[in-house]
Amino acid sequence: MILTEVMASLLLISGCFFYIAGTVGLLRFPDVFSRLHALTKADNLGLFLICTGLAVNSGSPRITGLLLVVWILGLLAATVSCHLIARRAIRSGQAEPPVAEPRAADPTP
Amino acid sequence: MNPTAVIYVLTAAAIFGIGLYGLLVSRQILRQLLTINLMGGGIFLLLITLGGGAEGPPDPVPQAMVLTGIVIAVSATAFALALLLRWQELSGSSEVDGDAVTDAVTDALDDDE
Amino acid sequence: MIGLAIDSVLALGIVWMALQTVRSDSLFQAMLMFIVFGLLMSLAWARLHAPDLALAEAAIGAGITGALLLVTWRRLQVHGPDDSNGPRLMTRWLALPIACASALLVIIIGWTALQLPAVPGTAGELTLQRLEDIGVSNPVTGVLLGFRAYDTLMEMAVLLAAWLGARAVATEFRPGVLPGPAHAEVPLVGALLSLVVPISILVAVYLLQAGGSAPGGAFQGGAVLAAGGVLLCLTGRLEAAAQASALERVGVILGLAVFSLTGLIVMATGGPMLALPGVWAIYLVETALLLSIALTLVLLFAAAPGLRRAP
Repeated sequence: MILTEVMASLLLISGCFFYIAGTVGLLRFPDVFSRLHALTKADNLGLFLICTGLAVNSGSPRITGLLLVVWILGLLAATVSCHLIARRAIRSGQAEPPVAEPRAADPTP
Repeated sequence: MNPTAVIYVLTAAAIFGIGLYGLLVSRQILRQLLTINLMGGGIFLLLITLGGGAEGPPDPVPQAMVLTGIVIAVSATAFALALLLRWQELSGSSEVDGDAVTDAVTDALDDDE
Repeated sequence: MIGLAIDSVLALGIVWMALQTVRSDSLFQAMLMFIVFGLLMSLAWARLHAPDLALAEAAIGAGITGALLLVTWRRLQVHGPDDSNGPRLMTRWLALPIACASALLVIIIGWTALQLPAVPGTAGELTLQRLEDIGVSNPVTGVLLGFRAYDTLMEMAVLLAAWLGARAVATEFRPGVLPGPAHAEVPLVGALLSLVVPISILVAVYLLQAGGSAPGGAFQGGAVLAAGGVLLCLTGRLEAAAQASALERVGVILGLAVFSLTGLIVMATGGPMLALPGVWAIYLVETALLLSIALTLVLLFAAAPGLRRAP
């Protein structure tokens, strides 16, 4: 009993950490693409950890299944909205598409 | 007195005040609609808090009233938005100006005849 | 203790969002803040033990209202740039004391009401005692359809009136009233739609069915179904049509018609008007309400007389 509670707490706390990281990225990163990167990647992992934590805490297969659906729907929505925002940003010319820059100190022989 | 109830009564009062202030000073109709909805939110919060929401499940009658209120608010907002669109088409601006409203409506009526 | 801390943070967040809605310079930002305000309100309802309201606020208050605001903003942009230097109703210095006084009034009302001793035999208590008579165990659904059915009927009438009003003031039909299907050709969107729209139907039916015993009901379900319809409009799967089809006309008045007819039949057979005879009648009326609510909300969003499937 204690073990599952500790596990659930750890999962919830690490989930919150990823959410905070994603939010800091959203607020601090310079352009649309890196912000999207921070938001979707970190938050999806955070959502997964929180859902897992809640599932462990509940111990019920029904709730675990529902939380899994929540996570998958969140993942789908984040993926598609991220894609659409990035696409819109490129098409409207508000932001330059990220191009892999040639490294300056590339030791080419 | 339940401290949770106090928190939410204060929140309700703050939202209502902020909404009323916004309604009085904002220049755009769309923002005025937002502020009216804020005032509504404050009143809903007050109703549920006074219905005992802080201690346990609130009284079902205020809950049903607020549920009705939320749907009425979206209906009224939708109608107001339709009016706003029409008004902007007639006048070319999204502000309120009494004389301009009268002129535009008179013009529109003249056109119809 | 930790609950109190959560409530305080939530309350601060709600007030901050309200403040930003009023204060932010850009109208677009104000609308986004308002949508976030709605989401935080739905958390507040959950904290206040009112999950029915939390569902309704998230789906209707934040979701549908937000979609309506954003689409109207887009349509306003099409007509011309937003000129934000209109006259105010009054100056800031006059508005501030008025707003403070009204907030104080709300505090006094709340404070006084919290001091009042609990009175036995309120309408809510009577409802809880007599829930078994009407056959549903969710007290909110019980009040909406069992004890205050007039309110619910009139609510549907208001929704219908709002739609008719919006139709009446709208200009003659133009095909371009919906925002163009900008994302129609993106493959990801099609994949998402093929999942999310069926799920919205499933969730709507679940909420309707659960409404008898758990949080949920026709209004929440209707809003979720409407969200699916709004998605179809936004992605160009549904187009505005110049005329409402016969099915749409029936759909818009279905809730009102089924509800009134059931009530009248009960009256004709000797019962009080609108007293629903049993659980099956509650579910019949709720299903009709759900369909009407969803269709009306989608039509309001599309600002069109009707909808048709895009070619």
